Amino acid sequence: MTLYEKITTLYTELTDADFAPDTGTIMLQNDSDGRGDYIKEWNHPTLAQPTQEQLDGVQ
Amino acid sequence: MSTVKSKKLQVGTDATSSNNFTIYQPATPDGTLRIGVGNAENPTEVGQFNANGYKPQQPVAFRAFLGSNQAVSVGVFTKMTFNTEEFDTNSNYDHSTNYRFTPTVAGYYQVDLKAQWVNNGQGLIMVHKNGASYAWGNYPVNGYGSMASALIYMNGSTDYIEGFVYFAANNTVNSNPATTYFNSILIAQA
Repeated sequence: MTLYEKITTLYTELTDADFAPDTGTIMLQNDSDGRGDYIKEWNHPTLAQPTQEQLDGVQ
Repeated sequence: MSTVKSKKLQVGTDATSSNNFTIYQPATPDGTLRIGVGNAENPTEVGQFNANGYKPQQPVAFRAFLGSNQAVSVGVFTKMTFNTEEFDTNSNYDHSTNYRFTPTVAGYYQVDLKAQWVNNGQGLIMVHKNGASYAWGNYPVNGYGSMASALIYMNGSTDYIEGFVYFAANNTVNSNPATTYFNSILIAQA
């Protein structure tokens, strides 16, 4: 499961627009350095950035 | 009228050597006249002339493309792994680790980043400078690619640029070097 899928599973109210380059408040990034996807920016007005524990708990 | 013959001629006698110039023949003559900054004992070359006139220095430029298609996760800004170089005149493009261009000559660079997708879908590409987005490509709802072009000042030491891609739905970047590439050339030193 990708980071995007884990986040949207945790917060089902999120839509593609929340991650979009032009309208989004959440920015996920992958630097192609083997470390995988990560949250680069989280500026959502109402939802808190999930903890690593929360993300790890998503199945 | 007298004739002066010399291998080096210093122009200027300022106490600060960088205020002086030297015109000289290289230690191994090759048909060029060199111009350097500094005193005759140790000039730093800044230009050459040959029988055809001024000989421009080799431009700082690179062009790179993907060695294979690159799969990208939905909703994630992903660095494009341009791991195959067509040319890299000043060895300033890292094609194996960071996939970034860090020119060692300060100035204004024309930068082109283009990508084609395998499937029709929404996506865009971005040129990042020093880790932050700098120039976006087009972002059509439906399409097979995106292109960004920008004129970017680079300081010749720490500044670097990279290419990123974003997909709103599952997609893959096509590695065709004619349609997916990253290139830059120094337009003017500054």
